Amino acid sequence: MIRYAKALTAVTLATAAALTGAAEPIKIGVSGPFTGGSSSMGVSMRDGVRLAAEEINKAGGVLGRPLLLIERDDEAKNERGVQIAQEMINKDKVAATVGFINTGVALASQRFYQDARIPVINNVATGSQITHQFDNQPQNYVFRNAAHDRIQAPMIVEEAVVGRRFKKLAILADATNYGQLGREDLEKALAAKGLNAVAVEKFNIKDVDMTAQLLKAKEAGAEAILTYGIGPELAQIANGMTKLGWKVPMIGSWTLSMANYIDNAGLGGEGARMPQTFIQEPTTPKRRAFIDNYVRTFKPKNNRIDSPVSAAQGYDSIYLLAAAIRQAGVTDGPKVLSALENLNEPVEGVVMTYTKPFSRTNHDAITAGIPVMGEVKGQRVIYAYDADFKKASQVPPNAGTTAKAQPQK
Amino acid sequence: MHILTQLVFSGIALGMIYAVIAFGYQLTFATSDTLNFGQGEALTLGALVGLTLVTLGLNYWLMIPIVCIFGALQGALVERIGVRPAIKIKSEFGWIMSTIALGVIFKNVAENVWGRDDLKFPSPLPESPLHLLGANVLPMEILVVMGAVLMMLVVEVFNRKSIFGKAVVATFNDRDAAKLMGINTGLVITFSYALSSLTASFAGVLIAPLTLTGATMGAVLGLKAFAVAIIGGLTSGMGIVVGGLILGIAETTTGFYLSTGYKDVPGLILLLAVLAFRPAGLFGKTAIKKV
Repeated sequence: MIRYAKALTAVTLATAAALTGAAEPIKIGVSGPFTGGSSSMGVSMRDGVRLAAEEINKAGGVLGRPLLLIERDDEAKNERGVQIAQEMINKDKVAATVGFINTGVALASQRFYQDARIPVINNVATGSQITHQFDNQPQNYVFRNAAHDRIQAPMIVEEAVVGRRFKKLAILADATNYGQLGREDLEKALAAKGLNAVAVEKFNIKDVDMTAQLLKAKEAGAEAILTYGIGPELAQIANGMTKLGWKVPMIGSWTLSMANYIDNAGLGGEGARMPQTFIQEPTTPKRRAFIDNYVRTFKPKNNRIDSPVSAAQGYDSIYLLAAAIRQAGVTDGPKVLSALENLNEPVEGVVMTYTKPFSRTNHDAITAGIPVMGEVKGQRVIYAYDADFKKASQVPPNAGTTAKAQPQK
Repeated sequence: MHILTQLVFSGIALGMIYAVIAFGYQLTFATSDTLNFGQGEALTLGALVGLTLVTLGLNYWLMIPIVCIFGALQGALVERIGVRPAIKIKSEFGWIMSTIALGVIFKNVAENVWGRDDLKFPSPLPESPLHLLGANVLPMEILVVMGAVLMMLVVEVFNRKSIFGKAVVATFNDRDAAKLMGINTGLVITFSYALSSLTASFAGVLIAPLTLTGATMGAVLGLKAFAVAIIGGLTSGMGIVVGGLILGIAETTTGFYLSTGYKDVPGLILLLAVLAFRPAGLFGKTAIKKV
């Protein structure tokens, strides 16, 4: 257990002092699992956040004040997340918080920010409900710049049914909330195409044998496997297929890009496809700078960011927040909220350039059409389609507010 | 037909993974009536130490003896710190908490040294499957089965034939009488703990190429192995192997024929049934505890 005091590694940047002398820093909370099974996502997110904060501080901070990150390890546990939220609000008095990898932690923690009127930007958690938890309240302080499950599930089905022309699909999902909510979304997306999954199987976290699940899928004649789970168990599925000598494509949620899937599945994991908002390819100068800077600063193994999506979204979340604070002119929660909902200037991020990413009714910056299909090849995630790669060379334009204003039911 | 064969083969491999871990429970119970509830963590440490050695460039087979020595030391430490004080004051339950506590400490140490992510353990054998009776088996799975059977034989032969083994059996039967006969029962118990963690470490490096390696790998496996030890009987080496087979095959076949959501249930129902009708386990000797 990382000691509490250790988790409190506030990044005070040298430039901050040099900058304005005694200007009071703007405190921003960063909550995520920096240890545990989802730590590859949490740490990449945190590093992306650090990178953005450092750049902003070097350029003079926001409103002449440096950003000060208050980083806390929520260990992917709901109750830790709640504790941290209360502390950040009451003791640290943060102006806003970014983070949350796990949907459960986000749902448990963000009500405190809602009550305290402090904006939260979810930069990784994908549960569909997250941005709709407070729909019935006059003001909703929860924002997100990650692709939610209702974008991902239809993309996965589209790829399988339209892109690859498979008709018989099996779903393998883990028994957690993440897996089972994702499975529901996948079933709905299949139903929309007039299809039913030929097999729907479940597995537990830490399961070491997937024979039964895979044989059922095989006997049902599945042409591909759709997955909703996290890295280690996804790797066991790939390894199980190698063992049975039955290899069909795996298409699943974005977690198929996790380093612990790619490393543990090895050759058997090649070819898996998943929706990604960011792929570690220097397709634009902005992305090149981000990737180079990240690799230089944090030195990931084999120069491969553990979770490029988390890093990029973490980075962008800080830029979105900084833009809103700048526009609001103050750090008051309600003012920052209304600035986020009406961002005047486009915000250049690495995922995309955000032009009016949020509105009063839409708090999800990532909409359908923005994520692309990634594929595991040569132990890295690359663009599955050349067309996407070419298109990515110009930062995709925002889908525009008209498409986004529609409430997502 | 070949589906059933495949399920049975995978069940055997899975069951043997549980069985090699369950041996550790059996070994300490056989001398001191106590169990090391940190068995899963001993397994984790063994696998992680093994992984470090392999990453440093040591050959898999040469690494095994070093890991075994490490395991033996770790087990002896657990006995000295956690179990001996409890036995000394004839506490019935003190050792339960102290072995659990030590297990948690070992897990935290592992988390801090190796991180909490699951790591890949390079397989010493080819990773492409072999075809056997119309089903596929990984070479590593065969190695695990052989390892489990070998461990069972060694333990049984040791207990029945060697003078040390007789000391172990005598200590189990009546600790005070054994002591009066000149057996250093304290040493025998320390030895059994060392042996138990040694088997756990060995089990760790044996199964790691199949299960992924990480600080949390021992938790679920240690629990399943405990169920195996209860079903088979804590006093029988044979029982451990059979218990492992039953639980492993029950899991894979239920998963296929019933539902993968219920695959753990039949094994646990069997566990309850065994506890109700044969508390000493399917192969265990019923011991009458004189008070």
